[in-house]
Amino acid sequence: MKAHKVIVIGDFGVGKTSLIRRYVLDVFSDQYRATLGVHLYKHSDIVPIDGTEQQVKLVLWDIEGAPLPGEQMMRYSLGASGAIVVGDLTRPDMIEPMRRAADMIEARLPGRPIGFAFNKHDIAPAPDDSNIAALKDRYGALITCTSAKTGDAVPNLFRDLTARIIGGKGGAV
Amino acid sequence: MSDVKSFDARILLEGARIVAVRVDEDLVVREVVGDWCEVSVGEDVRDTVPALIGMEDELLQELPYIQLPFVSLGMSHEQPVAISVQRDWKTQSLWILLRDVSEEASVQERLVHQHNALSLAHRELAAARDAALTADKAKTRFLANVSHELRTPLNVVIGGASILRKPREKPLPTEDVVTFSNDIHDSGVLLLQLVDDLIDLSRAETGNLTIHEEWCNPSVIIDEMIRLSRGLPEAKGVEIVYEPCAKAPELFADPRRVKQILLNLLSNAVKVCDPGSRIQVETEVLESGDFKITVRDNGPGMSPADLAIALEPFGQPNAETRSRGTGLGLAIVARLADLHQAKFDIATKLGEGLAASTSFPVERLSSNAG
Ligand SMILES: Nc1nc2c(ncn2[C@@H]2O[C@H](COP(=O)(O)OP(=O)(O)OP(=O)(O)O)[C@@H](O)[C@H]2O)c(=O)[nH]1
Ligand SMILES: [Mg+2]
Repeated sequence: MKAHKVIVIGDFGVGKTSLIRRYVLDVFSDQYRATLGVHLYKHSDIVPIDGTEQQVKLVLWDIEGAPLPGEQMMRYSLGASGAIVVGDLTRPDMIEPMRRAADMIEARLPGRPIGFAFNKHDIAPAPDDSNIAALKDRYGALITCTSAKTGDAVPNLFRDLTARIIGGKGGAV
Repeated sequence: MSDVKSFDARILLEGARIVAVRVDEDLVVREVVGDWCEVSVGEDVRDTVPALIGMEDELLQELPYIQLPFVSLGMSHEQPVAISVQRDWKTQSLWILLRDVSEEASVQERLVHQHNALSLAHRELAAARDAALTADKAKTRFLANVSHELRTPLNVVIGGASILRKPREKPLPTEDVVTFSNDIHDSGVLLLQLVDDLIDLSRAETGNLTIHEEWCNPSVIIDEMIRLSRGLPEAKGVEIVYEPCAKAPELFADPRRVKQILLNLLSNAVKVCDPGSRIQVETEVLESGDFKITVRDNGPGMSPADLAIALEPFGQPNAETRSRGTGLGLAIVARLADLHQAKFDIATKLGEGLAASTSFPVERLSSNAG
């Protein structure tokens, strides 16, 4: 079975590592430890795709955070089947960096599905509907408010994207 | 293996923590040079180096360009490697080079962590600074409002007094003297109220607002404050009633402050109510045992936005709500309630009146309650 590479990108400290570790290992830590380079996680899951449950294999790329996507992030994104762009709901200007990251994915990985994760939903409210609608329109993206701390919506974040990656084959994408 | 080049390479790579892996078009390992990490001939290179998963198209290019400076070798993140891929143009064979970067990584990781943590702290500070600046602006705006509020009645006082003291041949008609004196008196009262409010508020802000508690009878206080409010000029034609609960408890509180809470709420209500309206003071012992006093009017009510402003210590309600007084009343009531560990709550909707309630905690009630 083919494994799919999914990259997780965004500014530092937004919770990329925490989201992946919640999904793969079902753990969480309040301690912040910056990620250097890339940490890889292999994960098998069962995901409903076009109405049937399917076994899938993922290689998740937990990529070092950066306020804006740079040369390094582009190198690491090579060959990804999909991308999750993470933002931190507690930060006032969170949307613009997420757009920039999504622009990079569009340019580098045209046609690959993007999922936006608005993280730390346990301590901050969801963004305005108008912002969500704008992102959906612009990138055709999935949008999920998550909390790595409580685990809220975390599996769905990855499963919905996976369903798009696999279900999208030969489809609309 | 018979290749001389790879023998040279083997010498070079011995002891240097680098492994070179030759793979075929199916990415199966054909040759391994260097023994620093475990890679076996015959296996799929992606099993040892999962970072290559997804990169198949690029790997099979004539000149693959893959340079990954820091990637964990596997799922255990203890072993970071730098990965690069090269095609030997002579033999057309594909080489994958893995270099141990744990030494650089341990230094870099600390740097990256410090950099990130510092810049996050810096951003937080900047946000705090912006918040402080906003608060500062609110204070400046507040001061401007206060001076405006002081100026209006002061102008009445000075203007009225200068007319009264002006030497003239014929004395002023008595009605005029009465009118001017009344205006001066009323403005003086308003000024005094404003100054008292300001003093209370600034004491509350600095934590110097104190209470002197004793056992008191809330019904007596409520009756007294209702009587006082009925005397307010705006109370003409407004009905103010008291609906006590069956058995009102004694309250351990500062009677002067409880009066102040009630009078503030009642005068607010009176000011917004047209003649013919009704204001109701209710008391209730809640299920929790807390004792709730509510002042309810059927006046114009407030929008949530106006309410938020009215409750702010330095926020001045807009023109619509300004008629509710100095604009300080609710802020003071909220603080006075706080000093009694009481919960202050406002339920209102635009056009549907307003109910302001103060719930004193059960610990402040005499046991004969309920
Ligand atoms: N309250 C709350 N805290 C979170 C959540 N997700 C992550 N955090 C905290 O945010 C901090 C950063 O989380 P990480 O997962 O390390 O962030 P990152 O995006 O991987 O950071 P870099 O690796 O530096 O890019 C940590 O202190 C986490 O505990 C969340 O959903 N809620
Ligand atoms: Mg991380």
